[in-house]
Amino acid sequence: MRSIPVLAAALLLGSGAARAADREFTEVVRAISDEFHTRPQSIPLFGLVNVFTAAIHPAGTRHIDLAVFEHLSSHDREGRNLPESILNAVGRSWKPFVQVRSHKNGHEETVLVYMRQEGKEWKLLATAVERDEATVVQLLLNAEALARWMASPEHCARHWNGDVTE
Amino acid sequence: MRLAIVLLAVLPLAAQDIKMPANLDKLAAKASEVVDVSLDGALLQLASRFLSEKDPDEANVKRLIAGLKGVYVKSFEFEDRDGYKESDVEEFRAQLRAPAWSRIVGTRSKKNGDNSEVYVKTEGGQISGLAIIVTEPKELTVVSIVGSIRPEDIRDLGGHLGIPKLDNVVPKSDKKDKKEDN
Repeated sequence: MRSIPVLAAALLLGSGAARAADREFTEVVRAISDEFHTRPQSIPLFGLVNVFTAAIHPAGTRHIDLAVFEHLSSHDREGRNLPESILNAVGRSWKPFVQVRSHKNGHEETVLVYMRQEGKEWKLLATAVERDEATVVQLLLNAEALARWMASPEHCARHWNGDVTE
Repeated sequence: MRLAIVLLAVLPLAAQDIKMPANLDKLAAKASEVVDVSLDGALLQLASRFLSEKDPDEANVKRLIAGLKGVYVKSFEFEDRDGYKESDVEEFRAQLRAPAWSRIVGTRSKKNGDNSEVYVKTEGGQISGLAIIVTEPKELTVVSIVGSIRPEDIRDLGGHLGIPKLDNVVPKSDKKDKKEDN
C-alpha cells in the first residue's frame, strides 16, 4: 500500500494552512473514479492525520488532501484520455508545472503536477497514475518545499509519490 | 551521457520569436518517456526569494535565475535510435538565424552520435534569449529559457530547474573572469 509513503512524501514536500480541498482536487479524483469505475481507497485514521498535522505541523504541514486508488484494472477503464480529463478537471487557474509520461519496460506512469498562486501562497496539485494505482494530492507549499520543487522539478515529480527509491 | 538534448532559450510567449515546432509535440507519441517542465517568471522569482544564500549551490542558482523570465523543458526518450529524425530538430534550429541569433557552441561526435549547439539572442548588447541544442541517438530534451543570462553561466544552470546537466555541452567558465565581472 502506497498510502504511507505517499503521505510521508507529501508531508515532507508541502506545508500550509488548514483548508478544504479545492474543487479541482475533487474534480481530478472524480475524473479518475469515472475512468476506472471505482472510488479512492479509504485511508484509515486519515482524519486524525489532519488533526495531527493541524496541531503539530510536521514539516510545516497543517492540512493535506489525499486520494489513493489501488487495484485499478484496465478492463474497467472507460477508455478516455485520462491526462486530458485531468487537464480539463484542473482548469486554467492552475499552471502546468511538471508532466512525466513514461511507458518503459512494461511500466506505465503519468505524473501531472500543477501549481497555483493564492495570495502569498502556492498550492500544488499532483496526480500520479500508474497501470494499477493512482494518487492525487493537494497541498500548500512552504518556502523550503517550493524551493525544492523549483530546483529539481523533475526529481520531485518522480519521487513525490514515494514509490520510487533514489 | 546517453541523452539527446535540445535546450532552447526564447523570449516570453508574447514576444517569442521562435516556437516549439509542432513535430516536437508529435514526438511524444513515439517516445518511451516524456518530461515537460514549465517554470514561468512568477514561479522563478518566487523561488529566487526562497533559495538560500548560505548554500553555495542554491545561492548560485538564485543569482542565475534573477534575470530569467521562464524555463521550459521538454525531454523525450526513445526505445530505438530512430525515435526522432534530424529533420525534427532542424525545424527548430531553422528559427535560430542571424542576425538575431548566433551560435556560440557547436560540438559533434561521430563516435557516439552526440551533438550540441548553443545559441544566444542579443538585443541591445544583452542576451535576451538562449538556445542550446544537444542531441543523442535515443533521447531528446527541449528546454526553453526566457530572459537574460551570461553565456558563462549557462553551464551552471545545468542540473537545476529541470535543465539537464551541461558539463559535456558547455565548456567550464573561467572563474577568474567571472569574479572580475561581478
